[in-house]
Amino acid sequence: MTAVAARFEPALSAAEKETQLHAWLRAQPSVLVGFSGGVDSAYLACVAVEALGPHRVLAVIGRSASYPAEQWAMARDVAARAGLPVLEADTHELADPRYAANPSDRCYFCKTELWNVLGAIARQRGIAVIVDGTNADDLADWRPGARAAAERAVRSPLAELGFTKAEIRALSERRGIPTWSQPSSPCLSSRLPYGTPVTVERLAQVERAERALRALGITGDLRVRHHGDIARVELAPALLGEWLSPARFRALREAVRGAGFARAALDLRGFRSGSLNVLAGVRAE
Amino acid sequence: MSETPLARALARLLPDALVEERGALAIVTLRDAAPLVDAALRARALAFAKEHGVSHLALELADDAVDAAHLPRD
Repeated sequence: MTAVAARFEPALSAAEKETQLHAWLRAQPSVLVGFSGGVDSAYLACVAVEALGPHRVLAVIGRSASYPAEQWAMARDVAARAGLPVLEADTHELADPRYAANPSDRCYFCKTELWNVLGAIARQRGIAVIVDGTNADDLADWRPGARAAAERAVRSPLAELGFTKAEIRALSERRGIPTWSQPSSPCLSSRLPYGTPVTVERLAQVERAERALRALGITGDLRVRHHGDIARVELAPALLGEWLSPARFRALREAVRGAGFARAALDLRGFRSGSLNVLAGVRAE
Repeated sequence: MSETPLARALARLLPDALVEERGALAIVTLRDAAPLVDAALRARALAFAKEHGVSHLALELADDAVDAAHLPRD
């Protein structure tokens, strides 16, 4: 295709991409979906079971201390609603000192473990292809985990077919998948600045704090970033004014202290995806 | 703790603030967060921070009983 021809080729609509995704999936003998219960993998798994039927799809949840319990519950819920065969497998990335040291390419070691575990399951069950929920927007972000997927021939049909996050949300809503409006929810280790060792205790502390803040009624994007004695709370910018009021701020502080942090600070810019990548200089603002 | 260039810059907006810098992160401690409810003032504080190499500025509310004792008096 020439550059001129490409310029006049109309972009595919989300619905057309979904048709392509169906065709892509039907061309596979069987698929194992790396299934976190997040927006992307939930959508992919639901389309896969529709395209291939439950006997040719297996969704596998990799469980570890870095995987939030609430997301696990959502994954189970999505699977039950969609009639999706699901399997849970423990992953042990925290036992890998290269991961636990929390370098800027930490995700590579996590995904290496995940895909090794899921790859073994696929081989045991004779499943032909492993897929994940990486989308087209993700390709522009700092994602060292993508290298681990590529090394193990994991396919990313949503990215390959050009699905954006917004399209996946819209298509999920149309299908009634409950994750459609769910905030992005990366693993709990993403709350620890690079170089801060990843431990079960720190991850549990972050998870407790985020759960306590949700219990206060905070919706939408929320991250508790672990800075040792300080929890730096990132909220959706639209909520900042409300939570800076004295009563609200005190409630926030008590919730965070109850989770085991000595101090609570509210980020004045609000939620930023990849905030700690900016802090570490891995990514520009 | 408050005598850095960033602290001096922020003092123009938040005279009572204590500023603690941890690399590209700075924690501003105030007795009363009310001034920062103003989005325009927050934006100015963030701009000052960025000018001083601080990408993340966060607010801590002084504990009524403990931290406030270390803050400047009006």
